[in-house]
Amino acid sequence: MKMNSAFGKQEERAAWLFVLPAAISLALFTFYPMLNALTISFKEYSLINPEAVFVGLANYSGLLSDPKFINSLLHSFHFALVVIPVQTALALGLALLIYRSSWVTGLFRTIYFMPVVIAIGVASTLFKLIYNQDYGLLNSLLGFFGAGPVSFLSDPNLALYGIMLLGVWKSAGFFMIIFVAGLNGIPNDLYEAAEVDGATRAQKFVKITLPLLRRTLTFVIIITTMDALKIFVPVALVTGGGPADSTTTAVYYIYKIAFQQMEMGYGTAAAFILFVIVMCISIVQLRLLRTDVEY
Amino acid sequence: MERIGHLLKWIVMIAVALISLLPIFWMVMGAFRPRQELFQYVSLEWHLFIPVEWTLQNFIDLFSDSSKPLGRFINNTLLVAVSVTLLSLLFNSMAAFAFSKLRFRGRGVVFAVFLSALVIPGEVTMVPTYLLVHAFGWIDSFRALIVPAAVSVFSIFLLVQFFADVPRELLEAGKIDGASWPGIYAKIVLPSMVPALITMGLITFLGQWDAYLWPLIVINDESKQMLQVAIATFTNLQATEWGKILAADTVASVPILILFLFLQKYYVQSIVNSGIKG
Repeated sequence: MKMNSAFGKQEERAAWLFVLPAAISLALFTFYPMLNALTISFKEYSLINPEAVFVGLANYSGLLSDPKFINSLLHSFHFALVVIPVQTALALGLALLIYRSSWVTGLFRTIYFMPVVIAIGVASTLFKLIYNQDYGLLNSLLGFFGAGPVSFLSDPNLALYGIMLLGVWKSAGFFMIIFVAGLNGIPNDLYEAAEVDGATRAQKFVKITLPLLRRTLTFVIIITTMDALKIFVPVALVTGGGPADSTTTAVYYIYKIAFQQMEMGYGTAAAFILFVIVMCISIVQLRLLRTDVEY
Repeated sequence: MERIGHLLKWIVMIAVALISLLPIFWMVMGAFRPRQELFQYVSLEWHLFIPVEWTLQNFIDLFSDSSKPLGRFINNTLLVAVSVTLLSLLFNSMAAFAFSKLRFRGRGVVFAVFLSALVIPGEVTMVPTYLLVHAFGWIDSFRALIVPAAVSVFSIFLLVQFFADVPRELLEAGKIDGASWPGIYAKIVLPSMVPALITMGLITFLGQWDAYLWPLIVINDESKQMLQVAIATFTNLQATEWGKILAADTVASVPILILFLFLQKYYVQSIVNSGIKG
């Protein structure tokens, strides 16, 4: 260790130079905006009228009694509450079907993953056509089964489900791969030991797979929750928040307030409220899903 | 019983495969159809998916339309995505190298500060970052897209995990041979990290290729627009432009799908790593 102190000094100087570009970028484009966001959220701030007025907590109290904001939060929660269990179960189910390596499972893995590779902008414009009442693919298929035609995007009770379907179609494959990695990390001898003891397939799943998959499951649920609560692009492109604001989610509302109505202080305060909510939910999830199982 | 279970498993696997693929297939095939055909075959039959009369007209329209030139949008996006990818590989790997391999005072604290940025969501910093970029005079400039995206804490974090596999003895051997630290980084560390760099590069590139919200905010000049935003504006045109929309979607997807099929190993690896270590 006592190479000599000149060597250590040189290393120290080199290290700071290596970190410097990233540090400057983070300070400028992450930490400074974060602090600035806090001050902006206490102001009535608009690009059109650059004279920002300090309004204290008015933006926050205004938001908490703004039915449009509350509704946008509720839509995000509705979206998350459906998507988290459905998408996670689907991803886990698919992973269980194909996690053992062979060329057949490899092929299916690739196929299930293809929607993930499609850009979200592309997927959104595509699904807007698929949902079309008269000529869309979905109604063609429903028609074959004697159902429909359903107007997915103009019915306020259905439009959000259209966004959910698109979200699950696009993302399930991503989380499937994470589950595959988790499943392959479970040592095989555990299953073999269980088989010797005469365990059934269901018992093995409940007693071995689920507990040992808990860390992966925690990760998947937390990330899915964050993504779901912040859903934006499909809303902006497929429904534009409509019909009758039924798909206006929190981030879409924030975007509209901040960049279409140019009320940047109000919009930033809304973003802060959403941030605090997402953060609290993540912490609670981490606590609930904490595990001591080691393997 | 076992046999029924097996059959059921295959039915589910194939059904999900169809659901995954049909929209993509419908998109690509629709791009090759004349306009009226898209609205003609709407019941479940062969021609719902396979064009009767194949045509390239949608693609020709798309690239020759001077008011919305798709070729330019692709060039813009490639320029930005490649710049961001190269810069981020350089800066992020430099930082990751220092954090994982170099000894310096305050390393733990600085790394913790870096990691704390992971919880700061883009939605909150969106407005202030916009104001900053505006103050720099970067609105309608690619700089607004490239510079703020060049460093990602998430990438640094993942690269630190990768770098952990490079033994420090290897570096000290280089040191004894008289190489400088930048020399060691460039000649020893980077070459041994190529798979990790491909993985990170792929994540960064695709993230830029998919970017929608930030370009929508900072680019107003339509000739400088990014691909996803441009594609989105096609749907605002008359509803009958389906062929064009599907062709644009196809052009934006097929290169990425091919890239994915070739680099699948790295792509999947990136997700596995983000899952295990995130």
